[in-house]
Amino acid sequence: MQTSRARLFKEYKEVQREKGADPDIQLVCDDSNIFKWTALIKGPSDTPFEGGVFQLAFAIPEQYPLQPPQVRFLTKIFHPNVHFKTGEICLDILKNAWSPAWTLQSVCRAIIALMAHPEPDSPLNCDSGNLLRSGDIRGYQSMARMYTRLAAMPKKG
Amino acid sequence: MQNNEEHVVDGEAESASSAPQPEFSDWAYYADEDTMKQPNEIPASESEKIPFVGDKEPLSALAAEYQSGSPILLEKIKLLGEKFAAIRRTRGDGNCFFRSFMFSYLEHILETQDKAEVDRITANVEECRRTLQGLGYIDFTFEDFFALFLEQLESVLQGHETSISHDDLLQRSRDPSVSDYVVMFFRFVTTGEIRKRSEFFEPFIMGLASSTVEQFCKSSVEPMGEESDHVHITALSDALGVPIRVVYLDRSSCDNGGVNVNHHDFVPSSGDSSGSSSSSSSKTTEPFIVLLYRPGHYDILYPK
Repeated sequence: MQTSRARLFKEYKEVQREKGADPDIQLVCDDSNIFKWTALIKGPSDTPFEGGVFQLAFAIPEQYPLQPPQVRFLTKIFHPNVHFKTGEICLDILKNAWSPAWTLQSVCRAIIALMAHPEPDSPLNCDSGNLLRSGDIRGYQSMARMYTRLAAMPKKG
Repeated sequence: MQNNEEHVVDGEAESASSAPQPEFSDWAYYADEDTMKQPNEIPASESEKIPFVGDKEPLSALAAEYQSGSPILLEKIKLLGEKFAAIRRTRGDGNCFFRSFMFSYLEHILETQDKAEVDRITANVEECRRTLQGLGYIDFTFEDFFALFLEQLESVLQGHETSISHDDLLQRSRDPSVSDYVVMFFRFVTTGEIRKRSEFFEPFIMGLASSTVEQFCKSSVEPMGEESDHVHITALSDALGVPIRVVYLDRSSCDNGGVNVNHHDFVPSSGDSSGSSSSSSSKTTEPFIVLLYRPGHYDILYPK
């Protein structure tokens, strides 16, 4: 508990110091609880998520950084490796490939990379995975783009 | 897998059409989280029967384990008994090599009070720190693990306020907040050494599942619970400059039918990029860390 708090405080200071260094990621720590963070990440360009801003919720366990943070999408997203209802993310580094060498910031980068490079063979969203697996790239992209417009872009007017 | 089972259920329902339909509409009950957790939990509960680091046991405890087992193994255990007095088991949680090394090394320092060795390894640890920095690791990701190891090293040296006894060392080795942090320290050291000398290690790694040295380190060295093999042992031994003897207990026998127990000494290479660790009899000093390897697991051995 003490060590996880100390580590998170270092990450907090690093985030403050590096503010704006990565324009695609905005990590914010909860005002009253250092074990709760949120992040805003920009959908990567040349993907159906381009132009969207996606919110992530981090819940950090007491054994952090030996145990990975729990991360999920708060913004609805149509992606093979994200659960459509819960926002749960299927990513190895958030499960058995986690190591303390990762940081909250680099986890955000890994999630952005996952958005650009979906892994349709381990789907949490089967509809999305099946579109890609059957080679219907256009179908996948138009569905994903529609949900990006509906959920991840500011409403016009 | 779920699909297969559903087919079986369908088939059964058809053959006995009068029977009520089995209620398999509740597949949703098995959430993704449950299915993903399960394979990890079974070995975990099995391994939690013994502590991270066990008590010292006479070697006869090993023979008892194989009483109705292979005669070759029993013969080998008898031979082990000529040279070794005791065994200390470690938990089979994938960290057993690092955990065995941790306890064995700290216990050695506690018993010998070898200050020169402590100074020597401390210098190596500082070098490992620079290696990680050079590779682009952010300080705060590894510094806590380094600090905790150096703290343990200092506390096994007697005569300080923070000095600890052998019992304390055993307790700390069983406490995840110390033990897991030291294991993770070794994982950082190992990954740094492998990546620094990636050209040397590459041929040993390419045969394995990973496609690059970096990927190997990310998937098979840095995560807790990933098992160690020759590559990890060579890298740790080289990085810290500590020789390690591994005694092999398996069912192999010699061509002539005779049985003997093989061992391999990992001797740190002196240069940074040259040479490998290999069995060498030129060294006069025997490694003070002796581990027993049985396929998939390391324990600590105590010479007579």
